[in-house]
Parts: sequence; C-alpha cells; structure tokens
Amino acid sequence: MGGSPSGEHERFDAAVTGLGMMTPAGAGTAASWERIREGAGTEAVRMPELAGITTDFACRVPGFDPVAVLGRRRAGQFDRSSQLVLAAAMEAVADSGLDPQTWDGARVGVVLGNGIGGAETWETQHRRLLDSGPRRVSPRLIPMLSANMAAGYVSMEFGARGPSLVTATACASGTTAIGTARDLLRSGACDVVITGGTEAPLTPSLVTGFSQMGALSRRSDDVRGASRPFDADRDGFVVAEGAAVLVLERAGDARARGARIRAMISGYGASADAYHPTAPDPECTGAGLALRAALRDAGVGPDEVDHVNAHGTSTLINDATEARLIRGALGDRPLVTSVKGVTGHSLAAAGAIEAAVAALTLADSFVPPTANLESLDPEIELDVVAKEGRATPVEVVVSNSFGFGGQNAVLLLTRA
Amino acid sequence: MSNVYDRLVKLLTEGFGLEADELNPDDTFGHLEMDSLALVELTVAAEEEFGVALTNDEVGPDSTLAQAAQVIEQKTVAV
Repeated sequence: MGGSPSGEHERFDAAVTGLGMMTPAGAGTAASWERIREGAGTEAVRMPELAGITTDFACRVPGFDPVAVLGRRRAGQFDRSSQLVLAAAMEAVADSGLDPQTWDGARVGVVLGNGIGGAETWETQHRRLLDSGPRRVSPRLIPMLSANMAAGYVSMEFGARGPSLVTATACASGTTAIGTARDLLRSGACDVVITGGTEAPLTPSLVTGFSQMGALSRRSDDVRGASRPFDADRDGFVVAEGAAVLVLERAGDARARGARIRAMISGYGASADAYHPTAPDPECTGAGLALRAALRDAGVGPDEVDHVNAHGTSTLINDATEARLIRGALGDRPLVTSVKGVTGHSLAAAGAIEAAVAALTLADSFVPPTANLESLDPEIELDVVAKEGRATPVEVVVSNSFGFGGQNAVLLLTRA
Repeated sequence: MSNVYDRLVKLLTEGFGLEADELNPDDTFGHLEMDSLALVELTVAAEEEFGVALTNDEVGPDSTLAQAAQVIEQKTVAV
C-alpha cells in the first residue's frame, strides 16, 4: 500500500501493537476470536434479572471473574464497565510488549468509548436510596457511575499521564475513541495510546428502555438465533456487554522497537446525520460522508476495499440502510460481515471489538462469517459472508459504526 | 477481643476484601490503606451491621480497629 493516488496527502499509519478483548464470545482475545471465527450462533443467555421484560435475554461475557483479575479488595470499587475495560487493557498492554514500569507515562494517552457509564451501580444504589434511605448509599456511587472514570482508572492502572478521556457517540463511541487516539499520535501529543471502548448495560431499566423502543429481538425461545444481521427474518438487536482495547503507536516507532504489528489504522472519518434522534438518514448522507472521509484519509480508492466489518446490528432499518450505503459507496466487491450475530450489540464497546476483529482479520487473512445468516434479505445486494468464514488475503478493511444521535464513525485498517 | 471486634473484622473481610489474618486490633485504618471513601463505606456498612451512626471523626485514618470497636460498643449500649 502506497500513499495517496493523487499524491497530495501523506498517509499516517498507527500500528496496532496490542489487543485485549472481553466479549460475549470469550474472556480474552484468543477465546473471542476463536468463537467469532466459528460464527455458530449468538452468545446470548436468558437472565433472571430481566424476567418480565419483553426481551429477557442478553449477551454476557462468559467466565469473566473480576476478583481474579483485580483482586478481592479492588474489584468492588469499580463498576462492571470499568472492570471489563481494565481487564481488556491489562491484556492489551501485556500483548504489546511495552513495559508500563519503564515507559514515559507523560507520553501515554488513554481514549475510551463509553456510552452509559456505571449503569449497574446507578441502578443498585438507586434501589438502596428508595428502600433504605440516603445514609445507605455508597460513597463510591459517583466515581463508579461517571462515564469518564473508565479512562481515569486505566490511566491510573498504567501510570499513563498523557491525555485521558472518554468519547460518547453512543454506538459509535469505540470507533470514535480509536480515531481520536490515532489523531493524538499523528499530532505528536502522544507516543502510545491505550484505546478502545466498554459498556455494561445489562440492567433491568436499560434493557426495558431498549425494548420499549422496539429495538430488541424478541426471540426468547431461540436466543442463539436472535442476532441475525442482514437476514430476512431479523427482528432487532441483542444487547450485550463487553470491552476491547487496542494499543496504538506510530508505525515507525513500532517497527523500530521490533513490535509485533497486527494491522494499521490508516484512515478515520466522522460525521453527523443531522437528521433524527434514533433513525438513520435513509439517504445515508451523513454515514457516506464518514465512509468517504476514511477512504480519503487513507488514500484508498473505493475499489481497493476488500472487506467491510459492518455495523450490522440486526435491526430492520440499520441493516437495510447500511447495505445501501456500502453498495453505493463501495459496490458489491467487498466481503461483508457483522460479528454482532455472535457478540450481540455492546453499544460503546462494539466499535472497539470490531476494530480488534478487523485487525485479526488482516493478520490472519481470514474473514469471519455473519452468524445466523440463513436467508439474505433480498433487498441487500452485497456479498455477505454466511455460514463459514473465508480464508483469503485481505489488504483493506473498513469498519463502520453508527450511533443514536446520527453520530457516525468509520475506521479504515490495512495490513501491516 | 469483644464480639463487636469480631463482627467488625468479619465486615472488613467480607465487605472490603481484607484478609482476616492481616488484621490486628492495633492496626489503624490508614495502615490498612483504607482511603476516605473506604472509611465512609465503612460507616455505611457499620450502620447496617450494628444499627449505630458513626462519623468519620470517630472512625478516621488514625483510628485503630480496637478503638473503632470500642466506639461501636459504647454507642450500641447507649441505644
């Protein structure tokens, strides 16, 4: 991959040198990637806490033990959204081979996407307030629920004293975070950025809220078949928790220290629909701006995109609209996958999980399948990978994320 | 040691993740690395456990476990 075809724009590559994933497909990158490669079904479970809600199932991270990761004393001081992202960050930093004991912390930034913050904490403590009165409310309520604390805690964990912030663009937050992290490397503000996203929204009130919007699948009797992006019988998304973290460095720095580079973040585009609080613009005007900006940023032509890691939520409207966007902007050549068939939709974590998957797709030359895609919606004229993944060389991947509020973010990754 | 002291130790091990064998009557909360938020958490938990209201003047970083148990005991008697 060279620079821009027109030569006016020098491409900036941020190297992905560390990965950490805590997803419904597995606690850890290897476990998550293995299950996503298989694409056998939605990793959802019915939850007793959700009994009585029209949708009483969700995707949880299996086998996640915060006490084992953080110790008994510390685990209780963090909301689950912070527990998940701390675990993912520990895996990612270890994977990068960088040593937080010796790095210059002032040059290390943290940028994480977070949607709702400490939802479980808020709900639990609100119940205590109502049931037992204000004197029973935890003094940790505010630091546990504030959305920014996910990044604050990761900075503390690694002595990272560079810029530390949380991005909130709803379901695009993880992607926005990675794009922003890339910009901190490009500007020279940081030498290393720990970036990604997290969400732990599986509480009765939040799941009820999504359910009342009509956004969720109601397949309680077939939860493994519930998230079915691009399928003719899809009926909504499956809400999920999760976190993923990527360690980014300038490509030259990463090569100079002999780091293992999974992939490059080579382009980023962001935009707003300026159209509607929750519905996508049917003309895809805003989403198209973000996608084309990512291509231009990377100096890549639309016909060079091999694979789209789609937002693909499994709602009727998202998948139909996104398919028109992809078809219009990139044609029908790219292989298209939504990993949400396996993972469900983890909101602010989704874009980070999918960027990690895109990096692994490039590193392994393997495009994972879209789980539960049995009968492609006839209106979707794309090569959506179904049933089995495809082992094929991949040079350029686009990863789409679209948030409520009409906030769009698109990353373009290339092979290292 | 008193029954209240034993219950305080149980509260610290079960609610705060401290190990019973690292707790001594003469340890201060500061020595146990309990910060200001942890001390407020402790007063909330103690109020539930013992039914007495503690202030962070009575249970502060320099208080020992034995002193805290004594304050709780006195307040319990007073009630």
